[in-house]
Amino acid sequence: MGKYILKRTLNSILTVAIVFVAVFMLLRLMPLSGYFPQEMLKETDEATRMTYLRNQGLLDHPLVQLGRFVKNLFKGDLGRSLTVYPKVPISTLLKEKIPVTAAFGFASMLLGIVLGLSLGMLMVRYKDRWGDRLGTGYILAVRAIPSLIYLFFIQVWVSLWLNLPMVFDKDIPSSWILPVICLSLGSIAWYALWLRRFMVDEENKDYVKFALVKGLPKKEVWRRHIFKNAIIPLVIYLPSDLLFIISGSLVIETLYAIPGTGGLLTTAIKNQDNNLVQIIVLMYAVLSVLGVFLGDLLVAAVDPRITLTEDK
Amino acid sequence: MKRILAFLLTLVMVFSLAATAVAEDPAAAAQAILDGKTFERTYNTYFSSSYASFNYYSTSYATVREIVANCIDGLVEPDIYGVYQPSLAESWTVNEDQTVWTFKIREGLKWVDHTGAETEYALTAQDFVDGIRYIGDPLNDAYSLRVVRNLISGLYDYYWLLDDIDCGNVTDKNRDEVVASFDEMVGVKAIDEYTVEYRLENSAPYFLSLIESSMLMLPVEYDYAMAMGDDFAVDNEHMLYCGAYYVSAFERDKAITLTANPHYWDLEHITLDTVEYQMIPDGTTSLEMFKRGMTDYTSVEAEAYDSLVGTEWEDNLLPTDHSFSTNYLWLDFAGENPEFNAFINNENFRKALLYSMDREVLAALREPIDPSRILRNTINAEGAIYDSNGVDYTDYEPLKTIKETNYNQPDLAREYMDKAIAELCDADGNIIGVEPTTVDYLPVCSFDVDGKLPVTICYVGTDDEGEIIMAQLFKAMIEESLGAENVDFQIQAFSGWTYGTVADPLNYDIYFDSLSTGYADPSGILTRITTDGAENVGKYNVPEFDALIEKALAAPTFEERLQYFAEAEAYICDNGFIIPFISSLRGYYMSYSVPYTSPLTLYGNSKYKGTLVMAEPLTQEEFAILDTAYEMEREKALSNAE
Repeated sequence: MGKYILKRTLNSILTVAIVFVAVFMLLRLMPLSGYFPQEMLKETDEATRMTYLRNQGLLDHPLVQLGRFVKNLFKGDLGRSLTVYPKVPISTLLKEKIPVTAAFGFASMLLGIVLGLSLGMLMVRYKDRWGDRLGTGYILAVRAIPSLIYLFFIQVWVSLWLNLPMVFDKDIPSSWILPVICLSLGSIAWYALWLRRFMVDEENKDYVKFALVKGLPKKEVWRRHIFKNAIIPLVIYLPSDLLFIISGSLVIETLYAIPGTGGLLTTAIKNQDNNLVQIIVLMYAVLSVLGVFLGDLLVAAVDPRITLTEDK
Repeated sequence: MKRILAFLLTLVMVFSLAATAVAEDPAAAAQAILDGKTFERTYNTYFSSSYASFNYYSTSYATVREIVANCIDGLVEPDIYGVYQPSLAESWTVNEDQTVWTFKIREGLKWVDHTGAETEYALTAQDFVDGIRYIGDPLNDAYSLRVVRNLISGLYDYYWLLDDIDCGNVTDKNRDEVVASFDEMVGVKAIDEYTVEYRLENSAPYFLSLIESSMLMLPVEYDYAMAMGDDFAVDNEHMLYCGAYYVSAFERDKAITLTANPHYWDLEHITLDTVEYQMIPDGTTSLEMFKRGMTDYTSVEAEAYDSLVGTEWEDNLLPTDHSFSTNYLWLDFAGENPEFNAFINNENFRKALLYSMDREVLAALREPIDPSRILRNTINAEGAIYDSNGVDYTDYEPLKTIKETNYNQPDLAREYMDKAIAELCDADGNIIGVEPTTVDYLPVCSFDVDGKLPVTICYVGTDDEGEIIMAQLFKAMIEESLGAENVDFQIQAFSGWTYGTVADPLNYDIYFDSLSTGYADPSGILTRITTDGAENVGKYNVPEFDALIEKALAAPTFEERLQYFAEAEAYICDNGFIIPFISSLRGYYMSYSVPYTSPLTLYGNSKYKGTLVMAEPLTQEEFAILDTAYEMEREKALSNAE
């Protein structure tokens, strides 16, 4: 096991390094005019723009820039935002934004798991009856209707009916309710859909039928065998949700004016904020690799049939 | 029926009486609206895009400038009528040719921090000198430096000398020595502790409006800014304040609180204790929140306007008042398309284009309710520049004629097109001197031209839905007016992200852009669009225009200056070198604030000083009464000021 972890760790570091260097170099292929918003292009002459680029070190050779970045990174200096939040330290930005997004991410993940698994079990319990149809209707609605429509509906109308704030305000606890619900709508459907599917699969397996024939109470078969085995394939995705928790949702954070990380990477890429893109990509790459790695470990821990090392 | 008629008659009489009362004494009618009202001490408003940082010298964000305008005072500020009054300068003088401006600074003022506490830093003339020192150093990345750098004596040379040293182009001079020579090199000096003098390269009768409009003319506590380094003004805690408000709370991308500065020099005119900003990302949310009383202001886009007509809010809808930004068609005179080149350098073809479009239809895309209010035929905006007699610059002939011309004349356009064809083509429709070739406008596009009619025109724009529809309208109007057999208008659209990169001056024939009157002088735009001007990306060559601009800049009086500028602007518009067609004005708004109670900042950002906020939203009737009274008072104020 130790050898496996070491090998995966080294592979993970290599993966992150390749992703990071590729992104770093690709950013240097972008046109220099992209560092300036349209307004700035009109307001400044070419020579002044070149001065700005030189001041930011953007005219240096890409390898020199890479070396400087890595050196600063090892000193704990993440650099400063270039264009999106000019001169604001990226560490400050992340310190401000990640906790907000993470709080919403955790809350919605919990809600998604609790309600999603509950709905999934309800659908299996009442398979082909009202509970199942209700759940299927919900899943279909969430997946088929463009999310902007129902998200917008919830923000404008549900907030009016329930007298809830339309935008997030950290001093008003009730302003958390709608964004958390909106964030979890998709995951509720996802957990319900797959739990139902895996539980129905398990229900039809011979060992379940055998247990029931042997006289084990249905409730116990459900709890000890069907649910336990059905949940295993879902466990693998839990660590990957870490990334979602940190990266946030562009649409929902925008709708509810949540000052989080949702859309930060998109905005940074759009504005050619190299420094910010590099750090976010690095962070996401690490979290993604870590998520997959932890997922594998977790599955091995909960499913005795799976081993991570070759049998001799 | 009789009852209804009687009721309507009564209503008509009431309104007639009210109108008569307003007509008889507008000031009294306006006062009656305000009498007996209690005004709020907090104003709740919103922002829709990020506040990146508060560094007023380097920011390109208009939203940041709005906050700074309320937190850092300049030397002068306009009163509610737009007449410049003392601000941090208690008085000023100017020499005869308006090249030396001297300001006497108020004594005893100190910078305050983000808690509103006075710091040890006194506000002196040196802070204004240091502001120029700060922006004059290329390492500080000042934004929109061109106008100030070219105007203040010696600043241009100082900036580029430092830049040359930084680049390694100049090696025989030491950076520190050059920085130390700032006082000798640059024409801004602290004559004494409370007197600052600006020496300018050229006569600048508009200098006070430049002080209002440019963040670069604001003061800075240099020692503090240097101590902060790159952290200067990245948030509210890393800057100092000398305006009516300070930023007491700042949550990036979420909320900003402005609190009245208790040490402000003009405390008696502060009517709001607090201004609360919150992030509201879109117009629909701000409108809903306004209806629920959660914000005191909302903009109303034309699309939302219809949804409010017939509701209780209809009476609160007010039109936005002005925009000095002009939208125009920019033509490429030196592109690679030989067909377009042949035609665009022909005066008749340019005039054909000029008269080919129904500008009101184009305006209706932005302003479907009243398109005519955003039509604009001139480059500089009406209502932006006045002479010393209060005459609007756009009322100077021949610009006035241009302003009032109806350019929707497709028959005339066709006549001009026929003349152009007669001059440029042979009887078989071959364009004289143009051979078939492939036009390389990559990355925009590449296409073949056959050297025959129709003339292929490559238009490039963004993929914004409104702009695509506008481009399609251009195509339909131009092809219909000039004949599809004569013109083939091709549209290329790019995302806003790539548009700036691909719309290189040499990669299109026509594109759509805007220019804005930034201060009270036509030179702000017109000197940039001369043959050698930085904004002449289309590379036209108009010596007649250049000569008029030269004359304007050398004119002995402001009126003569405006006259020459008006002639120049009329010339370049009438000959179709640039085709302005609408202003950037759009939309409506609803608000709880009383109009005309805060400084009329035509060129700078709005200020909250003096703003009165009512408990109920302003109605159209109230606005009309206040507007009538205000216009009369403003006329008086402007004539008294002269």
